[in-house]
Amino acid sequence: MHNERSLTLAWLLLLGLTLVGAVLGNAGSPGLWVTVTVAAMMAFKGRVVIDHFLELGGAHPSIRRLVRFYAVALPVMLILTDLFGPQIAWLTTL
Amino acid sequence: MSIATPVFSAPIAPVLGRIPGNKAIWVGIYCELTEFALMFLVYFVARAHHPDAFRGGPQQLSTLAGVTNTVIMLTSSYFVARGVMAMRRNARATCLKWLTAALFTGIGYPVVKFFEVQWNVAQGLSGNGEVFQMAYYYLTFNHLVHVCWGLLGLIWVMFRTWMGAYDATDHDGLEAFACYWHATDLIWLMIFPLFYVLP
Repeated sequence: MHNERSLTLAWLLLLGLTLVGAVLGNAGSPGLWVTVTVAAMMAFKGRVVIDHFLELGGAHPSIRRLVRFYAVALPVMLILTDLFGPQIAWLTTL
Repeated sequence: MSIATPVFSAPIAPVLGRIPGNKAIWVGIYCELTEFALMFLVYFVARAHHPDAFRGGPQQLSTLAGVTNTVIMLTSSYFVARGVMAMRRNARATCLKWLTAALFTGIGYPVVKFFEVQWNVAQGLSGNGEVFQMAYYYLTFNHLVHVCWGLLGLIWVMFRTWMGAYDATDHDGLEAFACYWHATDLIWLMIFPLFYVLP
């Protein structure tokens, strides 16, 4: 029963964060702090799904670590793209 | 006086180091994650080259459609997780009810996508448009394909549940499907802010 309650709370939290994120995105103007906030929410929501829906807490380390890394790497790449956009563009120009 | 609890009604404690579902589904999920990682890489490179197009991009899209599909994915995922929990208690009928709820919720995703594309076309957004629109169609259509596969998988595990193929001690197939569905949900949670939210 405890698991079911924590799963339901996780689901409601994810729904709430989705609505907050959408409002924030529509209201905010482009800037590093908006990007960092959105990236942090991406990572947090990803971790909630990984822990409560996928239940990878007790899973094999190679599975748990890779999926957790995935949910952190993408938000970090988003921030890096905002910080070092011109350099990334220069590096990836043919 | 203690009351003996039947073995099948006890929740199964997670075993450290276990592989949820089965190995085969994790090969599939790794492939899915790799495929989307490459597409996200394209997104970041395109964003670095065309920052203005991506900053103005979300304003071109229907936020309502994006939020609705996020709610659908999260809710369908939640229903599937509740179905797995019910099966761990050997409550097969309850499990089937949760899976049915997940299916009907999940079907909403392609339906919303259909109306979203109609709306996009009316607004002049096409796959041959500017770089943001191309990246948006490229990633979201690929995700739609994965959702459709997932819905077919969901119908299959519902059929297997109905046939009595799973019980509290043996439901790897159901759990494998659940892992795929949650991984597809996870990817959508990365796509949604990149296209619909981030200015």
